Amino acid sequence: MELRGWDEFEIGSVLFSFNEKVENIPNVQQEDRSYSENNSFQASVAHWRVEKPIFNVDHCIDCFFCWIYCPDSSILAREKEVEKKGEKIMEQSMVGIDYVHCKGCGVCSSVCPTDPKSLLMVDEHDEEERVLANWPKKEGKEK
Amino acid sequence: MAEKMELHEVEVWDGNMAASHALRQAQVDVVAAYPITPSTPIVQNYSQFLADGQVDGEFVMVESEHAAMSGCVGAAAAGGRVATATSSQGFALMSEVLYQAAGMRLPIVLCVVNRALASPLNVNGDHSDMYMGRDAGWINLCSYNPQEAYDLTLMSFKIGEDLDVRLPVMMHQDGFICSHTAQSVRALDDDSAYKFVGDYIPKNPMLDFEKPVTYGSQTEEDWHFEHKARQHNDHMNSFPVIERVFKEFKELTGREYNLVEKYHMDDAEIALVALGTTVESAILTAEELRKEGIKAGVVSLRVLRPFPFIQIAEALKGVKAVATLDRSLPGGALGMLYNEITASLYHSEHRPLVTNYIYGLGGRDMTIGHLKEVFKETKANADAGKLTVPIQQFIGLRGPKLTFY
Amino acid sequence: MTEIRWHSRAGQGAVTGAKGLADVIAGTGKEVQAFAFYGSAKRGAAMTAYNRIDDKPIRNHEKYMRPDFVFVIDPGLTYIADICLNEKDDTKYIITTHLSKEELLKSKPELEGKSVHVLDCIKISQETIGKPIPNAPMLGAYIKVSGVLEIDYFLDSFKKVLGKKLPQKIIDANMVAIKRAYDEVN
Repeated sequence: MELRGWDEFEIGSVLFSFNEKVENIPNVQQEDRSYSENNSFQASVAHWRVEKPIFNVDHCIDCFFCWIYCPDSSILAREKEVEKKGEKIMEQSMVGIDYVHCKGCGVCSSVCPTDPKSLLMVDEHDEEERVLANWPKKEGKEK
Repeated sequence: MAEKMELHEVEVWDGNMAASHALRQAQVDVVAAYPITPSTPIVQNYSQFLADGQVDGEFVMVESEHAAMSGCVGAAAAGGRVATATSSQGFALMSEVLYQAAGMRLPIVLCVVNRALASPLNVNGDHSDMYMGRDAGWINLCSYNPQEAYDLTLMSFKIGEDLDVRLPVMMHQDGFICSHTAQSVRALDDDSAYKFVGDYIPKNPMLDFEKPVTYGSQTEEDWHFEHKARQHNDHMNSFPVIERVFKEFKELTGREYNLVEKYHMDDAEIALVALGTTVESAILTAEELRKEGIKAGVVSLRVLRPFPFIQIAEALKGVKAVATLDRSLPGGALGMLYNEITASLYHSEHRPLVTNYIYGLGGRDMTIGHLKEVFKETKANADAGKLTVPIQQFIGLRGPKLTFY
Repeated sequence: MTEIRWHSRAGQGAVTGAKGLADVIAGTGKEVQAFAFYGSAKRGAAMTAYNRIDDKPIRNHEKYMRPDFVFVIDPGLTYIADICLNEKDDTKYIITTHLSKEELLKSKPELEGKSVHVLDCIKISQETIGKPIPNAPMLGAYIKVSGVLEIDYFLDSFKKVLGKKLPQKIIDANMVAIKRAYDEVN
């Protein structure tokens, strides 16, 4: 970011997400928003990662715990066709990870309530296909 | 809509009630408060007005003064007209957030009813809290009596909210001596008062969903300095706005306010500089001494921050000796008024002799008799053309005479 | 400038009395001031309240006062508080007591030769308002002793001052108390 002089910015050290006025912004996906340079979407902390999360859609129940907990808004939820009580409807659903913004903290995996988990932390260099193929089995409750 | 109140031409209000009515008439949106003696009645009266349907605002009871000012910061950032009141220990607890409010450029009005700081614990009036907060980046206005507490509280909104200023404002009044002293107050009617203050103009409000904004950002060495410099620049340049508001208020009410107030200074040979209720007692004293042929005058800072560096030297131009009276004892130093005013006089052509008196701590009475003594010592300095007393002395203090320098 | 010092116990209404008096006097076009010494005083503790009345705006903020009038609204304070503190030659004392003036002077020789007026504000307030709140009767006595205002004007104005805070029944009782005190003080 270009460093500026004391008289060259907005008072109150406020930061705006957009340079222009926006309308109905909650219904626009992040990648379609015209963020200003001050919005953290323009910054990446992906290079901090030593482990990365892998998402396994087969076990996900769309509880959105990971979406709420993720400190970097890196859990991607999108409208997609799902089957409910035999009917096919469009609904917000988990689709994967935003690896540009994920710093690999692992909180998504920690809070995932499914058994086996729908998110696992693996080595940054591991391959997704290999991890999915070797996904753990159901553990069951300890007695 | 809140009911309007019919006020008498002359109301008998104490300083707290006067401030409460100013908040009511300014139609404050949010008061977040944690009451503390002696400022309690300001927010208590406001909550009564609210309960009686005489204001439309929100009253938020919080769990500490830190939370009170935090609530004010949140409400002001959201885009509302916000005010609260505090004193002493409460002010101290608020102090972290005072800097936040100023840095975020939120025009909150804080009614400060000045009281001593513990330890030892004391509920009475001195200026320790005012002195503690003077570097927080707020505009500081000082009043002498309930009428001025009312006038200056109304003006605080108009000054702080001005788009060229946009800084929070503290309005100081002396604990008990002003806050709990009922005197004749001539208030504006509700419509005229609100018209004077004007509608609140939100700037970058968080509740504007068309322009989402983040308040409370972090800046490190690459940006912090520039932000603080910008804040200081706008603070230092707020004098014209303050003077314009004073002028508009005079046109409306006939009551005159100045950055630096001068009383009997036209031909004065000696002058006292003080803040708060003491100023008026000193004016009375000067008038009595003038009957004895002593050309005594009084000067006060109506605006403590921004500090009227040029105007204070101008006001003291021509006097031979000045006594600065501090109602707070900055630990390990001379009084604030002494230090700041002497700095201003150092750059003036004419350098009078300057002494410092510490007085009135914890509510200790400042009598006309004491003030006469100070004037007479100051006269002796003027006549001798050099200091005849030590620089720092203490008024009404028991025990061996304590002096420094 | 007229200066008044009230001697009271916290809770007996000296501050309310002083502010009420100021309110009425302000209505006559004079400038007023009413204040009190506060500490961490609890109900029952001896305390003082003050009035200043003048034709021009009051600028004096010292607590020190040489009173023109001293009001003692609790009978015991005559003996335990320094009611003669900073008195002037012509300071007038209005003292609540069940004693006659002669008996009072005998029990408090310090008041001998001074302008002393007595009445029983406690008894009057108990019999009219139903509570030992002696502030309103003291105001009635002051109006009589000072002659500063007509009693009817005072009652009318004070009624409006009380009207801001109290129910009609209590206001009426206060009016009776003030009038009785006006008639009984000597």
